[in-house]
Amino acid sequence: MKTILVVDDELGSAEVLSLILEEEGYRAFCAVNGALALVQAREVVPDLVVVDYMMPLMNGAEFARELRADPQFAHTRIILNSGLPEAAIRDHFDGYDAFLRKPFKVETLLELVERFIGR
Amino acid sequence: MTSSTTDNVGPIERLRSSVPGLDQILGGGLFRTGVYIIQGLPGCGKTILANQVCYGHVAEGGSAVYVTLLAESHSRMIQHLSTLSFFDVKAFPDRLAYISAFHELESAGLKGLMGVLRREMRTRKVGVLVLDGLVAASEGASDLDLKKFIHELQSIAVLQDCTVLLLTSGNIHRMAAEHTMVDGLIELEDKLFDARSERSIQVRKFRGAGPLRGKHSLRIDNDGITVFPRIEALYRGPSQESTSETPTPSGIDSLDKLLAMGGIPMASSTVIVGSSGTGKTTMCLQFLHASSADEPGLHLSFFEGPARLRSKARSLGMELEPLEASGAVEIMWQAPGEALLDETAERLLAAVARRRVRRLVVDGLSGFLESAVYPERLGRFLGALVSELRSRGVTVLMTLETRDVLTSVVSMPWGVSSLVDNLFFLRFVHDEGQVERLLTIIKMRDTDYEAGLHRMRISDQGMHIAGTYRADGDVIPSAQPAAVPEGPKPSPSN
Repeated sequence: MKTILVVDDELGSAEVLSLILEEEGYRAFCAVNGALALVQAREVVPDLVVVDYMMPLMNGAEFARELRADPQFAHTRIILNSGLPEAAIRDHFDGYDAFLRKPFKVETLLELVERFIGR
Repeated sequence: MTSSTTDNVGPIERLRSSVPGLDQILGGGLFRTGVYIIQGLPGCGKTILANQVCYGHVAEGGSAVYVTLLAESHSRMIQHLSTLSFFDVKAFPDRLAYISAFHELESAGLKGLMGVLRREMRTRKVGVLVLDGLVAASEGASDLDLKKFIHELQSIAVLQDCTVLLLTSGNIHRMAAEHTMVDGLIELEDKLFDARSERSIQVRKFRGAGPLRGKHSLRIDNDGITVFPRIEALYRGPSQESTSETPTPSGIDSLDKLLAMGGIPMASSTVIVGSSGTGKTTMCLQFLHASSADEPGLHLSFFEGPARLRSKARSLGMELEPLEASGAVEIMWQAPGEALLDETAERLLAAVARRRVRRLVVDGLSGFLESAVYPERLGRFLGALVSELRSRGVTVLMTLETRDVLTSVVSMPWGVSSLVDNLFFLRFVHDEGQVERLLTIIKMRDTDYEAGLHRMRISDQGMHIAGTYRADGDVIPSAQPAAVPEGPKPSPSN
């Protein structure tokens, strides 16, 4: 079973996403900021992370940079999402596999997830 | 050796709100490092107001953070805000960020929330912090907890040089514990008046300065919020009681001859009362047409548009276009009804200031009535407007339409007669099968005048006085000069 970590400070949205992902047959976890997500990631070593950009404590870009710097996450795919346009973010971090502009439809996310890590 | 102590403590600096009109109400802006509550029911504009402050601060080189609890999602908020002119995507993420602290609040209470706020202020070095959803924060907390929370927030705000806005939809009529603690309380309201709603803002508490009290109307459009301070609060100085010895020609020579001064006293206000068609606008157009580069004129019209005014002037032998082209005349049209009363007044005063207007026509005082959600306010409103115009040296002609076409009794609404300096009464009378126009001067400030009934004629040469109308046997009662204004009768010296 593939593991996905959903990171969003708007916890309601992270929880809903992880429930949907579980219904789709993935093992899903969530975290509310980059710092907590990093702890969680080291524990579960996710195949994919769905990470929001603007968060307290450690934002999505800082979290993703930490992942990219750690060899144990070499295979982990990163889907960055934000209410901001991609152009506003790319300057700060461009090491993601896909960007989703919020609000997005869940099918769009599921298609990406399946493309990256299968079912 | 330099000392490492600092004791340069001056007065608290202000933070410009970037909300037009709000700083005027606050007497210069919010106080930096203050903690303010912005309160109002959902939909009254709290989010826009707080965002406008954030973006304004960012535009001036500062940075801000917008912290939500249980509020609309960040992506949705960004979608809504992106349609507003102040939205600036380049502000993200270094100088502006939206973050949620609900998890910290849920898991660690107010202490957890405080941790997030403190960290955000410190690490981002923000000058403005918004906490959206104080209601969520206060749920389950005791009054004492909440007071301690705000007290701590105030301490951090000072240390970090950060101004804090707390948004809450809490009951505006309940005296809440947090209200006693904060530095200011600003309340937004959206109230229905028949089918029409009007938004307002009220500063209920503001430590350190005396704000303009009471409710002020506000508009929300693509530029966000604009506040229009109530003009009677804004210009609350004593009205100037100066006398004028300089005449302003009325634009009708034969009318000026009826006035001992040879014209209308400069910086006075005149109301022309009469029913439809008696020549009120004609008289105003003559006055406007006498404008020049030295005496610029402005015509505020509520009912007739610029094109109609130009063609009406042309039919009276006057061309307005050349005067408009040279800058001597401006026509300002305001559809009555939807405009806010103070917004119209602000537009008017701004137009007067911009061109140093000396001759002003307000054609259709009832246009103000239709903009007023509290008609009983009109007397005070007009009093303030007239007094401000007088102090700016503007000679004002205003028209007021009476309902009855043939009448000998004029009832003046809103105490107009006591607000203005001069009063002209126009009416129709029957005269041997003909209809005649009559002018009666009811009162004049600072100048004697020829009382009596003056015939007025209007032709393609304009308007002129054509002798005195002598009442004889077959005069109908409407020809009697029996205007009965409200309020105290003008004294003979007027």
